[in-house]
Amino acid sequence: MKRLMIALTCLLAPAAATAHEIGTTEVRLTIHGDRTWSASITTGPLSLLNKLEAEAGLPPSRNLDQDALRQALDHARNALAQHIDVRFDGARSAEAVSIASLDLPADITRPSLVVISATGTVPSAATAVTWQYNLAYSTYAVVFLAAGRPPRTIWIEGDDTAGPLPLAGVMPPTHLGIVRQYLALGFLHIVPAGLDHVLFVLGIFLLTTSLRPILIQVTAFTLAHSLTLGLTMYGLVSLPPRVVEPLIAASIAYVAIENVVTARLTPWRPVVVFAFGLLHGMGFAGVLKDLQLPRGEFLPALVSFNAGIELAQLSVIGVAFLTVALWYRDKSWYRARVVVPASLLIALTGLVWTVQRTAAR
Amino acid sequence: MSVARRIAAAAVAALAATPALHAHDFWIVPSRFHPDPGTTVAIGLRTGQNFIGDAVRRSDIAIERFFVRQAGRDEPIAGIDGADPAGWLRADGDATAILVYRSRPSFIEMPPAKFEDYLRLEGLERIVDIRHQRGTSGSPGREYFSRCAKALLAGRRESEAVTRPVGLDFEIVPDADPTARAGLFHGRLFYDGEPLAGALVMAMLDGDPSARLSARSDSRGGFAFALPRPGVWLIESVHMVRTWWWFSRADWESFWASLTFEAPGRGAAGGTASRR
Repeated sequence: MKRLMIALTCLLAPAAATAHEIGTTEVRLTIHGDRTWSASITTGPLSLLNKLEAEAGLPPSRNLDQDALRQALDHARNALAQHIDVRFDGARSAEAVSIASLDLPADITRPSLVVISATGTVPSAATAVTWQYNLAYSTYAVVFLAAGRPPRTIWIEGDDTAGPLPLAGVMPPTHLGIVRQYLALGFLHIVPAGLDHVLFVLGIFLLTTSLRPILIQVTAFTLAHSLTLGLTMYGLVSLPPRVVEPLIAASIAYVAIENVVTARLTPWRPVVVFAFGLLHGMGFAGVLKDLQLPRGEFLPALVSFNAGIELAQLSVIGVAFLTVALWYRDKSWYRARVVVPASLLIALTGLVWTVQRTAAR
Repeated sequence: MSVARRIAAAAVAALAATPALHAHDFWIVPSRFHPDPGTTVAIGLRTGQNFIGDAVRRSDIAIERFFVRQAGRDEPIAGIDGADPAGWLRADGDATAILVYRSRPSFIEMPPAKFEDYLRLEGLERIVDIRHQRGTSGSPGREYFSRCAKALLAGRRESEAVTRPVGLDFEIVPDADPTARAGLFHGRLFYDGEPLAGALVMAMLDGDPSARLSARSDSRGGFAFALPRPGVWLIESVHMVRTWWWFSRADWESFWASLTFEAPGRGAAGGTASRR
């Protein structure tokens, strides 16, 4: 009958039936932005020392005063480090262990506690961390702390493992990650987000179907916007957006109108494209500033962003060539039915934007 | 080799060799085993192995009974939920007092190998055999476990009360007050009010890992240890039964009995009605 009663108790009171023996051990595991981690382990000092002594086949210490206990724990810190197992993506991180504080109160109603500090480095490209500490006999809490994240508390049993806890958004990205990220941002700033830049590039493309004039214009444009992008980001030149943005719109209208007027590369066209490229570079810089470039990764981010813009521009030209010019450039009607209407449409758009952006000042 | 180096070398070896056991002993540690009358005694709870334990915080939700039997009556042990020590009391100090802790059942699930390691460690080979016979050796160990801990606070005179069960499901009951008698410890195991035969009982001396004794209870639940030295002793035993599985998510239910007390030196050899 007693067993039946116990079974019923377990069935009807699940909270009681799953209650755990929670000890005084507490862990705070912090992932820092500088690719380091730190852990503070608060636990009973004498039992900690006794566990390490038992492993070494030594009799457990008794009746140690504060200084003697601290000294004993300090001597045992290398052994203690063997029991602190922090892993990033399964690879163990070496740690340095020290005794941060020790409190042996004379008041018997207060617990004795030692705080152990462990620190280590976070490998680049780490995606997740696990925690294991196999000197705890009771249930304890691991509080996981990381910049920009709310604290997360995980309760674990003795030598169980906490995690894996994802580090996405916690760790600063690697160099490669920065390059990837800003390459993508540069590309996306043109396609699909930068219709004005796309129309300008199409304006360059529509002038002629010959490769050389296109290459000359693209090179001039690239050199120019790279120059002002860099100079603006380093704070060496500056023009307010209310000036730059209408001029960018006007540049679109200009190249498109010139496409209607002439079908060949005039001597001043590369110069004009270069000049407009300087304006577009300032426009790109405005976007990049809004993205809050990482301070330590300024140059790779800048170069990657610019490379992304180039990739996008070449993609626009490539798509336009493959879908239209490749098939129809030799047709007698190509200029009349493709170049002129498309250029007029681009010019009209550029003019409208010029008016809008000027009016918006 | 220095102490620090021995500890470091042993830690590396232990990580590879020691089976980590989830099921740990549980015992009561008062701040003093011989309190003067009227003094405050802090009551700590410990879980661990080989008489090395972590402090356990008081958890009101986990406590079924937590009281002291002294001066002929039972009093609940007061404390703060979530705190260590788990409680405190004012010692009567006249006769030996009994501290009693009974937890509510907790559920635990272990991988098969880990479960059977711990069964063998606690002398529960018969459960290993039953699992083998039932073809469930490869199944995880799912059990409810309950703590049935007692400790003795020595008073100015010994107490007959310590030789009577206090009503725990599984209980270690001394035949005589061990706080007053050096040397031999005679006791009995009771499960569900009846003597329990064939159970492994272990005795450990605080601060001396070499003083580790074991015995099996006889047909009347009796066992005896010749305690080689005075000091704080832990006597413990584990009993396991099948659950009423159709009611339970566990297959087994274990009861962890412990008794802690401070054995006196040889000069206190038995039979005295008063020690001071």
